[in-house]
Amino acid sequence: MSTASLIDRYEHYRTRRFLENEKLTSGWLPNWRTQHRRRILAGTVVALIGAMFVTAVASYFTIMVSLVWLPVVLAFLPAWTCLQIVSGRQSDAPRHALDEREIAERNSARSIGLSVAQGLLMIPIFALLWSPAIDSIDHRALAYSAGGFVLASILFSGCLPAVLLAWTRPDDDPEDLL
Amino acid sequence: MSPVRRGETLPIYNRIRVLRAERGLSRAQLAELVEVNPQTVGALERGDHYPSLDLAFRICDVFGLPVEAVFSRTEFTPLSTELYKPRKEA
Repeated sequence: MSTASLIDRYEHYRTRRFLENEKLTSGWLPNWRTQHRRRILAGTVVALIGAMFVTAVASYFTIMVSLVWLPVVLAFLPAWTCLQIVSGRQSDAPRHALDEREIAERNSARSIGLSVAQGLLMIPIFALLWSPAIDSIDHRALAYSAGGFVLASILFSGCLPAVLLAWTRPDDDPEDLL
Repeated sequence: MSPVRRGETLPIYNRIRVLRAERGLSRAQLAELVEVNPQTVGALERGDHYPSLDLAFRICDVFGLPVEAVFSRTEFTPLSTELYKPRKEA
């Protein structure tokens, strides 16, 4: 089997699953599909990931702060799930499930997410590269802290396209639904 | 949104709203016929999105009109004005 046909088959499988899931969830949380409420969810997701960054940095000074990860992740999961439901998962939809306008919007949001990931990941990378030259640093704590920072960076840049799309998408025009 | 990579984005005006109303089509019905989401038809009508050539041809096929009758670089005048404007040469 050629690589192209394998990728095509996988894309069709992904599209079919996506459309099935979309059919299932399209009626969920109807009151949260307005732009105002989508922005509340997007802001919550960003705030929780911000808390992860703070926790990662603070864990260098006090390792016990790492316990804060648990409640933050527990709050993040439902907020993220709700955001994905009300924004129709446009940010990670397969291309065959979107039309040309949605693909253009998604690509633009993903491009920003990738740039943010590259920028944020430079911070722990250089911290870990330079720290061996400085003896006064607690290297073990730095490794934990940088690991947490990487995790938060990946999460943030991965979630950013969905956050941007949910934030910028206008309310549905009533005429669209006629 | 324009597919043009560089330079000034030139406007593309369209008559989709008028033609759709004339044929009694809702946005959802037109969207189904050209296989896009109804929000995309709305974005086209508002000028928030410029269509690809493929989508433009699909839309023209639905209305049975040539591309220049549906899309233009210059703003369209009302259809009734064009239809009934006085013919100077007559």
